[in-house]
Amino acid sequence: MSQLQNLRLARASVFLLIVFVIVPWAIAAGGRNDLYYTLTSVALLSIASAGVWLTFYIGRINIGQGAYALMGGYVSAILVVQYGVSFWLTLPLAGLFCAAISVLIGLPILRLRGVYFAMVTLVLTEVTRLSALALPITNGAKGMVSIPLPGPIGFGGFDLVPGFATLKTPNMAFYYLSMLLMCLCFAAMYRLVHSRIGRLCQSLQQNEELASSIGVNITLLRIIAYAISSFLGGLSGAIFVGIAQSIYPSSFTVNDSVNFMLNCFLGGLGYVFGPILGTFVLYFGWDLLFQAGPYQLLIFSSLLILFMLVLPNGLLSLNPFARRKA
Amino acid sequence: MTQVLINGFYLGAQYALVALGLTLIFALMNVLNFAHGQMYVLGGFITYAVYAQAGLPFVVALIASGLTLGVIGALIEKFLFRPVIRRSVRDESTMLLAAAIAFFFDAVILLVFGEKQRGVPKILNGVFVSGPLIMPYDRILVGVLAIALIAGFMLFMQYSKPGRAMRALAQDRMAAQLMGVNVDRYSMIGFALGAMLAGLTGGLLVAITGVNSGIGGAVSIKAFTMVMIGGAGVVGGAIAGGFILGMLESVGLTVLRSYGDVTYLVIFAALMVFLSIRPHGLMGKPWG
Amino acid sequence: MSVAAPILAVKGVTRRFGGLIAVNDVSFTVAEKQILSVIGPNGAGKSTLFKLIASFLKPTSGEVLFNGARISGLSPHIAARKGVVRTFQETTVFKAMTVRENIVIAHHLRSRAGLAGFYFGSANARADEAGFGRSADEIIDFLGLSEQRHKLASSLPHGHLRALGIGIGLATDPKLLLLDEPFAGMNHDETAKAVEMVRGVRGRGVTVVLVEHDMPAVMKISDRVVVLNFGQKIAEGTPAEIQRNDKVIEAYLGSEDAAIGL
Repeated sequence: MSQLQNLRLARASVFLLIVFVIVPWAIAAGGRNDLYYTLTSVALLSIASAGVWLTFYIGRINIGQGAYALMGGYVSAILVVQYGVSFWLTLPLAGLFCAAISVLIGLPILRLRGVYFAMVTLVLTEVTRLSALALPITNGAKGMVSIPLPGPIGFGGFDLVPGFATLKTPNMAFYYLSMLLMCLCFAAMYRLVHSRIGRLCQSLQQNEELASSIGVNITLLRIIAYAISSFLGGLSGAIFVGIAQSIYPSSFTVNDSVNFMLNCFLGGLGYVFGPILGTFVLYFGWDLLFQAGPYQLLIFSSLLILFMLVLPNGLLSLNPFARRKA
Repeated sequence: MTQVLINGFYLGAQYALVALGLTLIFALMNVLNFAHGQMYVLGGFITYAVYAQAGLPFVVALIASGLTLGVIGALIEKFLFRPVIRRSVRDESTMLLAAAIAFFFDAVILLVFGEKQRGVPKILNGVFVSGPLIMPYDRILVGVLAIALIAGFMLFMQYSKPGRAMRALAQDRMAAQLMGVNVDRYSMIGFALGAMLAGLTGGLLVAITGVNSGIGGAVSIKAFTMVMIGGAGVVGGAIAGGFILGMLESVGLTVLRSYGDVTYLVIFAALMVFLSIRPHGLMGKPWG
Repeated sequence: MSVAAPILAVKGVTRRFGGLIAVNDVSFTVAEKQILSVIGPNGAGKSTLFKLIASFLKPTSGEVLFNGARISGLSPHIAARKGVVRTFQETTVFKAMTVRENIVIAHHLRSRAGLAGFYFGSANARADEAGFGRSADEIIDFLGLSEQRHKLASSLPHGHLRALGIGIGLATDPKLLLLDEPFAGMNHDETAKAVEMVRGVRGRGVTVVLVEHDMPAVMKISDRVVVLNFGQKIAEGTPAEIQRNDKVIEAYLGSEDAAIGL
């Protein structure tokens, strides 16, 4: 293995150590169990943001991830509450449902570019919210509440993963679940970006016509990327429902869609791990500003504006070690 | 039915004003003004403050709204958008800046004007009745004012020097620059004009439906929808989009009332289908 | 002339844009390993014809046959897969990649691994990468870009960008290469080198169709020439025949191209 690969492996190991060992230990020692929820949110939001990052990677501005988060959440809720399906099974199902819908929606709209595509995706989030309000299956404005916690995963009487209701701190279990999925998600993205598919996406991003002329099936590639992106959105929404144990049409709004985009952007659109950093900073930043009471949004948005003025290309553009991948 | 159509028409006139502002900003600077809805709300609140609270005539209140938003728009363009556009590598930066500005406006509006729904006293009393048609005078006035403003705007763009300069800029930035058009100045004027239109419309509509701090986002989305229907960057498209949406909303709310809140759902679904056939709206330039 | 079927047959191709007829009932054939040039005054419809052949536009009527099979109306990437590849008029390359990366990625059509293979790094995918690397290096040497191998495409001067554009086309292993104004903006020496390069491309077994304004270069390099004016074909023949053709001279005298000289 080359030196560079060793370095990367080392950094990844340190990160994993921090996430899975050091942080839980620190939380237990400091008694700050509420941090579990915060960090879990960061993990889940960064998964959704990873989806948005992927659409950026094929050259589209996606402000509609909130729609898929909402869809995924409802799919999971409905399957669990009305059909008694196990929570764990609803996760891939929610993701696949969103992917399927995104293919239908993507076919007409993915050929739009720039602002046009962005506008349509923005409207998509609203449409999903309105559908949730109007459709009988989603219980309208009342939403769905009292959704049970995830059950156990077991074979023949032996429980691999205990039912969350039996745990003293289900939040910790959710933390592990979300962090695990986040790491898997970004590992997969890392691999994608460094494989030839990544190069193909970059060619798509840089010049669609040229990519077409060298035989790249740009329509297929775009749809695949969008489907994966929406899968991630749906997955994230489904897990959120497990934690919140409820879902409403307003659970994911246009603001969330915009936030996912902000997360990507803050971390730097050229860097695979950008969404993690961006989500972390924005989420904690917002949380910290809670102290400011009614001025929370004012200060937050002012800082954001300042940030755009100073670092128009994202946070990771400051890091000399991170190589631009997109 | 005619009642519904007339309602749709005057609603459409006001929507067209909003869409015009948005499309102007887009045509000049390739920026999607996320904060457009918030500018509208601010305009409404200023009119409320001047007319209902300070007791000055409605026209003065309107002018105050327009001017304030115009100035704000100019400042935003000069000090926020211009440096970011100059320094950023990607297009998304301006979109995010616009989103951040929208949040900022939301915060300010909430802090300054509070959460309550505000209305103003009727600007004109009385109702015009003709057969089955009922049209309150104030709505007629607002509709007429809206159309007058649209006409004024179009005349301005067509015949005045700044108007021609802005049109040149929208068509071909490089060529306009080569012909000596001061890109910076006219971008600023254009943005200010767009913001002013939003503010004026807010002022007009507060006289009919009132305003509250939460509707900024929804108005932005409506504005985007209009622009998508009619085509971005084209004045005719904005007007068409505005009227169409006004009509659809009026008809939908009446016809689909029994089905609940589905009017906008239907509109959006139809829009998606429409866009897959005509991705650039009715009159839009191919954008890519 | 050989009796073999032409590799490319343009049959009655017409393209309308609203009320404007850009290309009007144009027909000609190209034999294998020929170099055919399409010339004509500005606005004659050369670019449009080019895009029609390369399948970037659909003809309003008529068809384009490649090796006897129809390619007009197919997606550009499918036309590329069949062996019809175009270069672009502007210096269109992947600007954020190096020269070598540009050419390697352009080998995409030659890959035996599928998308999943790319992702997981299957044996096929890795063999592909190795092969592409070798082939890319060979193409880079052929084009004389060896010094620029690892430079970013955005840093290249004009002439090298054109060579890179041709390199990208070559990497796809085309049977027919469509060159869009390959000599544009070049001085005398650069043009001479480019002419040699195009000859070299034909020497590799690739049929070449090019669109050009530069008359001396066109006359030097072409086996056959097709002349368009106002969207119609007004003449076809060898360079010598075209130079003597009255209609052609008349078409050019009426335009700025007269200064270029036939």
